[in-house]
Amino acid sequence: MSIIEVSQLRKEYPSFTLKDVSFGIEKGRITGFIGRNGAGKTTTIKSMLNLVHPDSGTVCYFGKPLVGNETDIKKRIGYSTGAVNWYPRKKIRDIVGVVKGFYETWDEEAYRKYRELFTLDEQKTPHELSEGMKVKCNLLLSLSHRAEVLILDEPTSGLDPFSRNELLDIFTGLKDEGVAVFFSTHIISDIEKCADDIVYLSRGSVVAATDKAGFAEQFSRDGETLEETMLRLEKEGSHA
Amino acid sequence: MRNILLKEIKLSASPLSFIFIVFGLMFFLPGYPILCGAFFVTLGIFYSFQSAREANDIVFSALLPIAKRDVVRGKFLFVCFIECCALILMAASMIVRMTALAESDIYRTNALMNANPFALGVAFLLFGLFNLIFVGGFFKTAYRFARPFVTYLIVGFLVIAAAEALHHFPGLDCLNAFGTDRLGLQILLLAAGGALYLCMTVLACRKACRDFEKIDL
Repeated sequence: MSIIEVSQLRKEYPSFTLKDVSFGIEKGRITGFIGRNGAGKTTTIKSMLNLVHPDSGTVCYFGKPLVGNETDIKKRIGYSTGAVNWYPRKKIRDIVGVVKGFYETWDEEAYRKYRELFTLDEQKTPHELSEGMKVKCNLLLSLSHRAEVLILDEPTSGLDPFSRNELLDIFTGLKDEGVAVFFSTHIISDIEKCADDIVYLSRGSVVAATDKAGFAEQFSRDGETLEETMLRLEKEGSHA
Repeated sequence: MRNILLKEIKLSASPLSFIFIVFGLMFFLPGYPILCGAFFVTLGIFYSFQSAREANDIVFSALLPIAKRDVVRGKFLFVCFIECCALILMAASMIVRMTALAESDIYRTNALMNANPFALGVAFLLFGLFNLIFVGGFFKTAYRFARPFVTYLIVGFLVIAAAEALHHFPGLDCLNAFGTDRLGLQILLLAAGGALYLCMTVLACRKACRDFEKIDL
């Protein structure tokens, strides 16, 4: 059974519709959620977190629907969104001090480990951090409460190649510990490097939700890289 | 709820919300519309909503492992905490004026409202209106606060003006009682203010929970 089950998610906006999005996320696997800007990745992720209300469809975690089990489920998942500035003038130490009170599973050792790995000074405020460091700061909060699932919206955007590489290695390490990592990106090389599964979204619809090898088998032409396949699919889609 | 209140105090609140509690002591001012103190307290709370919006506080809170309605309850809890602190200061000032300073000329010759239980009841009413109109109104969008604040401003000042003027009408001078005069009536008016505060706050919180549940963040 999938650890996350997204079924028939539909959300209609005046100029965009998320059309019956369905996919599953497995335990101990890294799933790359890919699509160009405006494809509906963030709307899907926000629906998965109950920040956006889908017109229809369901999201289940650990076999339980999110609606009605929100508090328990949120304790078991970690979420991070790019370089959003939470409390820009508060010290990171103070933000962490408040956040950890919400999690019985807060792991002080993991917090110290990732803070050192990210070389994050907790005396600083988010306002004083570079975009890349803000991403790391958000990630630090997600990684420190032993989340069983990590949902990350564009975690690698704004990171330098070294930090990106470091982060993808962390994903691999977490996967080995049994954590399910689901991350959206438009950087295809990130998927190539560490993802086991791919959910490919285009114009609000899921084009593919399969493992990486299955994706290549289904869509790639001979000698084509994943990036070339994606670019071709998008180009073909825009002419369709 | 303890954690969410701590989050409000440590991360979301503007320092002005705490500093402006001191305006509760305006109940000591002679020759000044003392209920403006209650208004300044709500102005201090308004600054917290402003700084929280700039800090993406609502989305941050909605991502914490709490139900969405607890984000709303946390805000109401914080607002009521500040209001109760101010009400304690107002009540203390009122008691001093009703006892030790009951015969003071400076208060006896005051053309404006006396700091008595009726005044405290109206302060309760003002806080209730703030919770109903502003805090409740804010959660219709969890983003826009200008319209609910201006609406509260208009209603709030009309209530202050009415409360200040009432005791000048024939037969209503009992509203401006000094010391322990007309204590039964005064306590009844205070209780009515407290009951209205409670009703308006509960009503606003319930409606805000329902509204916030429907919002896409």
